[in-house]
Amino acid sequence: MSETLLQTDGLTKRFGALTANDEITLGVDRGEIRGLIGPNGSGKTTFFNSLTGFYTPDEGTVTFDGTDITGWESHRIAREGVGRTFQIAAPFGNMTVRQNMLAVQTPKSVDEHERAQEILEFLDIDHIADDDASGMSGGQKKLLGLGRVLMLDPECILLDEPTAGVNPALADRILEHLRELNDRGTTFMIIEHDMDVLKQIVDTVSVLDQGRHIVQGTFEEVSTDDRVREAYLGSADDDEVPV
Amino acid sequence: MGTENDLTVRDRFQALLGRDDAHLWLFGIGAVVLAVLPFALSTFWTRIALGALMWIGLAQSWNMIGGYAGYLDFGHGAYFGVGAFVTGIVMVELELPFVAGLLIAGVFCAVLAYVVGVPTLRLSGAYFAIATWAFAEAIKELALILEITGGTYGMTFPTGPGTSGIPLVGWPDEMFFYYLMMVLTLGTIALAYFLFEHSEFGFRVKAIRDHEDAAQSLGIDATKIKRRVYVISCVIAALFGGANAYYITFIHPNDVLAPIITDQMIIMALLGGLGTIGGPIIGGVLIFLLNRLSSLFLGNTTIYLPLIGLLIMVTVLFAPSGVIGILRGEVGREDVKQNLRELAEKFDIL
Repeated sequence: MSETLLQTDGLTKRFGALTANDEITLGVDRGEIRGLIGPNGSGKTTFFNSLTGFYTPDEGTVTFDGTDITGWESHRIAREGVGRTFQIAAPFGNMTVRQNMLAVQTPKSVDEHERAQEILEFLDIDHIADDDASGMSGGQKKLLGLGRVLMLDPECILLDEPTAGVNPALADRILEHLRELNDRGTTFMIIEHDMDVLKQIVDTVSVLDQGRHIVQGTFEEVSTDDRVREAYLGSADDDEVPV
Repeated sequence: MGTENDLTVRDRFQALLGRDDAHLWLFGIGAVVLAVLPFALSTFWTRIALGALMWIGLAQSWNMIGGYAGYLDFGHGAYFGVGAFVTGIVMVELELPFVAGLLIAGVFCAVLAYVVGVPTLRLSGAYFAIATWAFAEAIKELALILEITGGTYGMTFPTGPGTSGIPLVGWPDEMFFYYLMMVLTLGTIALAYFLFEHSEFGFRVKAIRDHEDAAQSLGIDATKIKRRVYVISCVIAALFGGANAYYITFIHPNDVLAPIITDQMIIMALLGGLGTIGGPIIGGVLIFLLNRLSSLFLGNTTIYLPLIGLLIMVTVLFAPSGVIGILRGEVGREDVKQNLRELAEKFDIL
């Protein structure tokens, strides 16, 4: 029997006449890796922003681990256990990799130096811990982005394109790390355009189209669903999702 | 061969710039030199050194909010002026010694900065700059019409033995004020160093400056941290304002609340290097000396303004990270050439 960790009910976000998220009701189970896909402009990043307090939803609620976190400030949601990364992995400048990690607001009871070292070792970037973070490669920046989130020891992490722009070898390593974290109990929701990446890692996929949550299922179910093809192609006549 | 040696020296120098023990040694040596300096200088040059110290401290205080937190505060000078007037009011109206005036000015400005910071720090970029500038103008106009500040007549400070409130100091003389400024400035530099370069608090401030959303998503309460930086930096400006006012004994809103006070702090931090410890020190000394020496040798107190304008243009165009950036090797000869080429193309000179 699975238990829902993160749940939205009728989540709606409007920008003037545009409804970016239209009554999205969606639940992510504890320990799951959920993919979130949809054509450009379907409202995926807006959904992440509404979940993590960067946007205040116009309607609907967000519940995390039984607590209603709708409208909470983003730093409070992060401390509550919902971490996130951004599409563009930008380290904080003029700081070393380690200082980037130490900037994270951890609970007072945590030895942040020890935790930072552990995470850097886990992600295999401890050898550059005291180097200037702005000199990292694109892939290393993505790893640092993940590392910073892990400092919060979150139960749930929302990842916005974790392997975009990363060389295939490093992308595989990132996926391995995600699997290992998932084995340890971390729940993930991942926005990803690369379907090859997605099918390797996700348990289930949710599809957004024009702000609405249209389908949810396993990768195979979703990739053969007519509504999904229509969302991507505009008609249901073609064979597969073009990604 | 020669080039290799040059490189090694340069590399060593740059490595030294980044070392903690080198920073502490530099600070220690600097403090000793400053402590004995008045014995080697004439009264005239001691006065110049005193002024330079004050401006280093003020530029560093602006650098906290403007450089480290990235909030362009165009109203910082208001706290310098308010600090001066509150110190004066405490000394004149309440007849308390200078030390009490300075402490009360610090507390008053902490509360004022908190109250001003709550609405203004929600703004960003040009809007924050405009709001703080307007605040400073309002404070100046207020000081000009209030009775307690002396209005357009200004305010004269009590002088003479016993007014300082510091034991063993009789009549506060040049030396007293030199060492007062030295302590305030060294204190400000040490505070900035430990707070912004060596604590998690400082890392969080820089995180907010670079990517506020990412910082928030990492549990950092950006509003609270920005407010703290703003309050700390404003209190420091207030302390310098109070100390300077007691030193010059007469203050007027048009002087201690003049916009040029803020402008100079910004220019000094910018020229030296924003968001660094060394930047405001280098910028403070350079600009203050340029100011004093131009009036000394050119007999003109305004010529340094266009000179500063020129310096700022050159800095922004060729070395955006300031003198510190050049010392760190961030701006090399090739970069300058590149910038010049781009500029020439832009204006169709080539």
